[in-house]
Amino acid sequence: MQKIKEYLSEQYVGLLNSYAMVFFSRDRFFAWILLLVTFFDPVAGAGGLIGVLVSNIAAEIMGFSRFNIRSGFYGFNSLLTGLGIGLYYQFTPVLVILIVFASLLTLFLAVALEGVIGKYALPYLTLPFLISFWMVTLAARYYTELDISERGIYQINELYSLGGQYMVAVNEWFGALTLAPSLVTYFKSLSAILFQYHLLTGMLVAIGLLYYSRIAFLLSLVGFYSAYLFYSLIGANFNELNYSFIGFNYILTAIAIGGFFIVSSRTSFLWVILLTPLISIMVTSTSVLLGNFQLSTYSLPFNIIVLLFLYTLKFREKSISGLKAVAIQEYSPEKNLYTAQNNALRFPAGSYFPIGLPVLGEWTVTQGHSGEFTHREGWSHAWDFEITDDKGAAFMNKGLVAGDYYCYGKPVTAPADGWVEEILDNIADNEIGQVNLNQNWGNTIVIRHNDRLFTKLCHLKKGSIKVEKGQRISKGEVIALCGNSGRSPVPHLHFQVQQTPFIGSLTIDYPISQYIVNAKERPELISYARPRKGDKISSLPHNSSLQNALNFIPGQLIEFKVDDEQGTAQNIRWEVMVDLYNHTYLFCSKSGSKAYFSGSDDLIYFTWFEGSRKSLLFAFYLGAYKVAKGYSRNLVIRDVYPAKISGSNFRQLLQDFAAPFYMFTRNQFELCYCSMNDELAQSGILLKSKTLRYYGKKAKAIAEFEFEITNNRVEKFIARFGNKQSIATRYDKNTA
Amino acid sequence: MTKQIYERPIIRKLETGMPGKFGMRTEYPPTTQIDGVPVKKIMEQYGSPVFILSEDTIRTTFKRAQRAFSTRYPKVQFAWSYKTNYLDAVCRIYHQEGSWAEVVSGFEYDKALHNDVDGRKIIFNGPGKSEEDLKKAIDNDSLIHIDHLDELYLLIGIAGNSSRKPRVAIRVNMDTGIYPQWDRFGFNYENGQAWDAINKIVGSGKLELTGLHTHIGTFILTPNAYAVAATKLAELATEISNKFNFSIKYIDLGGGFASRNTLKGSYLPGPDVNPTFDDYAEAISSALLNSRLDSSNLPLLILETGRALIDDAGYLAGSVVANKRLSGGKKSVILDLGVNLLFTSFWYDHKITPAQSFPLHREDTVLYGPLCMNIDVVRENISFPQLNAGDGVVVHSVGAYNMTQWMQFITMRPKVVLIDLKGNLHVIRNNESLGTVIENEIVPDYLKSV
Repeated sequence: MQKIKEYLSEQYVGLLNSYAMVFFSRDRFFAWILLLVTFFDPVAGAGGLIGVLVSNIAAEIMGFSRFNIRSGFYGFNSLLTGLGIGLYYQFTPVLVILIVFASLLTLFLAVALEGVIGKYALPYLTLPFLISFWMVTLAARYYTELDISERGIYQINELYSLGGQYMVAVNEWFGALTLAPSLVTYFKSLSAILFQYHLLTGMLVAIGLLYYSRIAFLLSLVGFYSAYLFYSLIGANFNELNYSFIGFNYILTAIAIGGFFIVSSRTSFLWVILLTPLISIMVTSTSVLLGNFQLSTYSLPFNIIVLLFLYTLKFREKSISGLKAVAIQEYSPEKNLYTAQNNALRFPAGSYFPIGLPVLGEWTVTQGHSGEFTHREGWSHAWDFEITDDKGAAFMNKGLVAGDYYCYGKPVTAPADGWVEEILDNIADNEIGQVNLNQNWGNTIVIRHNDRLFTKLCHLKKGSIKVEKGQRISKGEVIALCGNSGRSPVPHLHFQVQQTPFIGSLTIDYPISQYIVNAKERPELISYARPRKGDKISSLPHNSSLQNALNFIPGQLIEFKVDDEQGTAQNIRWEVMVDLYNHTYLFCSKSGSKAYFSGSDDLIYFTWFEGSRKSLLFAFYLGAYKVAKGYSRNLVIRDVYPAKISGSNFRQLLQDFAAPFYMFTRNQFELCYCSMNDELAQSGILLKSKTLRYYGKKAKAIAEFEFEITNNRVEKFIARFGNKQSIATRYDKNTA
Repeated sequence: MTKQIYERPIIRKLETGMPGKFGMRTEYPPTTQIDGVPVKKIMEQYGSPVFILSEDTIRTTFKRAQRAFSTRYPKVQFAWSYKTNYLDAVCRIYHQEGSWAEVVSGFEYDKALHNDVDGRKIIFNGPGKSEEDLKKAIDNDSLIHIDHLDELYLLIGIAGNSSRKPRVAIRVNMDTGIYPQWDRFGFNYENGQAWDAINKIVGSGKLELTGLHTHIGTFILTPNAYAVAATKLAELATEISNKFNFSIKYIDLGGGFASRNTLKGSYLPGPDVNPTFDDYAEAISSALLNSRLDSSNLPLLILETGRALIDDAGYLAGSVVANKRLSGGKKSVILDLGVNLLFTSFWYDHKITPAQSFPLHREDTVLYGPLCMNIDVVRENISFPQLNAGDGVVVHSVGAYNMTQWMQFITMRPKVVLIDLKGNLHVIRNNESLGTVIENEIVPDYLKSV
């Protein structure tokens, strides 16, 4: 019984997705609208429905990818085939048989094309439909049992038989509607995607499209109107039937290129406009060619142009910003855009081998990248560190001897695990103010982290190097003392990252994995950035409690007892999972939600959420968006969420429209390390975080979270959305 | 044009004797102001003598110490030694800077609580804790440093009835290569007493052994002694972890860092020879980092430094009462401050400077206090200029111990004034009056009529 239920639900989802996928969507509401409007012509509607069902069921029986079936990838071409055939012929049992087998043909074509062009990471779009529909049309000319449909000729009669006088009145009202002719053509073009030519259908589809995606809706208009203008430029009337029946080519191309396969941006919009003449050429030329066989070109121009454009983009040697392929398809131009924006902000250059600070305690950057003294040209990506006091001085007394300088003789530590590659340890420390230009790097250690990554520490104190060439060293180990040798008028530490193992190697632009900037107001933790001149920086102290609490091990179960203010309590259980590609995530089986996370020894951050936004897991995803596994009182961590993390409101809708051009809203994550009760056991830690939505510069907290970490685990988690509060307490079967 | 200072004619013995390595004369400029506030003004406003504390110096010195350690060892915590100076205002400055409290009596313990210190951040040292003190400390989950076996047994007894497992450390004394070896606090390392205590603590199952403590002495001029102590405690911690499979959470190296004062009998002046925070920090952190301690789980390093943190921030300003020639012809000066206020003058040759400009000529002088007691000598021999009665003097580096060990003896204790970071003055302890002195006295009725 359970299995049947599961099967039906799979089929149901696959069915709806097949409808929505015609417009690159997975939206249920949109799917229902499309399903409804196809039944404006009941035979065609039934044909489409049969097409989808046959395709999906056959695919299931034959054992094709369940994911593809569920996503509607196999269904939407058959839907179009079924719709088309249903529309042209009278309803007879033979027609049903024809639709069934035409759908099967479409399915095979889809699978085959997936195999052929899928290799090039290209979509097969509606090619399966085109091929099978042309073939069926050609073949059906010889099937004498089929009758050409007369529906559409006596429209009023049909309407009357469908819905009586009322339907006729509705139709008349539409007929009397005075709309701009171009708009009428736009709606009709939309309806033509479903083989209809009706204003109402077009309007409903437009509403569905708007509901599904503001960007897609905008793109449909941009695509349509650029075609409209182009046609008036070349002297053709776009309102004519011929053109409007293929007008959807422009709309579909616009959505595909403007936001679905390419991340929406000004450039993508520009390309939508630039591609219009190409589509037009394709429309006319293919029509002429196919006209020889009395076949219509349908969506062939759209298929050709989209595939052509996507394929050529792959051969670019330089990726021009603005035309970026969507990495993970989320079936919505908005989501694709917001995710791409967020990833560009959070993970600008993929993953780095983490290189930390080479010192203990608080130091000041006295020369940063491209500094004014020596960090220039090939050596511009380096840092100089000194220690300064509250008044900004780097020394006590008069600063006339090296020993007056706070940094002199302070330990220098390994910034990451590695091997000692090169050592220089026999250069005398300078008198204050003197520089040794002959041995300008002074006493130096070069560390090899991997074959392409080295770090170099210079101006070390003579004789202070505690390691030997070839020795394996681990992060944080004291390897030398800060000195004043080489080109160093005052004691300081020079630190750089380089790609080659030599003492004179050029630098590379490489970030520090994690450090605290002790700003006046509050210390803030910065990840993968470059400390700037004047920054007072330090490493985050290790905290074993946080380390253990946030170390999610695959297979681990995390159980909470959740109380909300209504006094209802429920138990929630998350499991730590890892997929085939080593992506780790928390999985809530109750809501089917997944929160993907990534991390290292010192940091955990969430990268992705899918599932119910009402679940506790979503709150946890928001609240623990990025947490460093160390403790420093009052420390703040900030990060940016994707632009859309909660339900829509008016401003969000406006933002959706404007998103490809300008972002005026922003969702920010802010975490504060509030207090630690037991500093010896490093336990009893209170973390507070919030989700802030910025409109321009005005911020509004949309959610607040609290974490209590005791006994090496998250003991309590409170989530507050407005005045709705849930309190989750760690729950143990053993203790309950 | 200012009026030239009148110089009395003096007859001075020609000294051709033994100069020191750097000569005999130590010349100081007059101390006319502290943190920008004129000393004369303070004395006019708050009387003479008066203790003056510089908040700026307190905080700067603290940060210097903190920096010396935190740039060498990842986990450092200072605990303010209450007995060094337990004026509330002073303690609160340290607590604001992040210091815990280190107390050695029930009274100090209560004072720490009164200063809003979290009970879990109070370290309870001292050999004389009462049962009542211990119960209080257990209730507040403070860190109790056990000094002797009788205290250990008492604690086990109390813990047996208490719902909370007391967090304890043992005080360890040891040979660190210096003389005298302080062996009166805690259990000896070399002869096995320390292990005996550790075994008893762990064996009882009633106490949680969280740390190890030592206090190797006071005014230690050899940083290496701390390196030895740190090495020995680290070794002990490692062995405890090996034997009992739990890690010691902290190592407390007590206090004893020297301030810039010059000890009596010292050949060279203190500021020139006494080790700095950096010297101590280098010795201690290298010893800990080079020990067998697990580098991924290093214990917290606690320091109970008192003197070295506050000494320089304290000044005692007073006035000349009289000049006097002794029978041998030596010059003496009577000041209105004596050993009753300046207990540390028994240990140090305090730096004392005039509070106003003074004539060039100096003479070896004895500085006496105002008490009618032979012991009241502030400096036995100081090269001092001629001052007139009523002139001001400033005694430097008196922040440690004087404001706790001072006596209400013969005279009454004066005001203590704090100069805040903006140069404003705050009285943080009022002077005593007849009323405060006799407040607690009770005269039996039959003595009321004289």
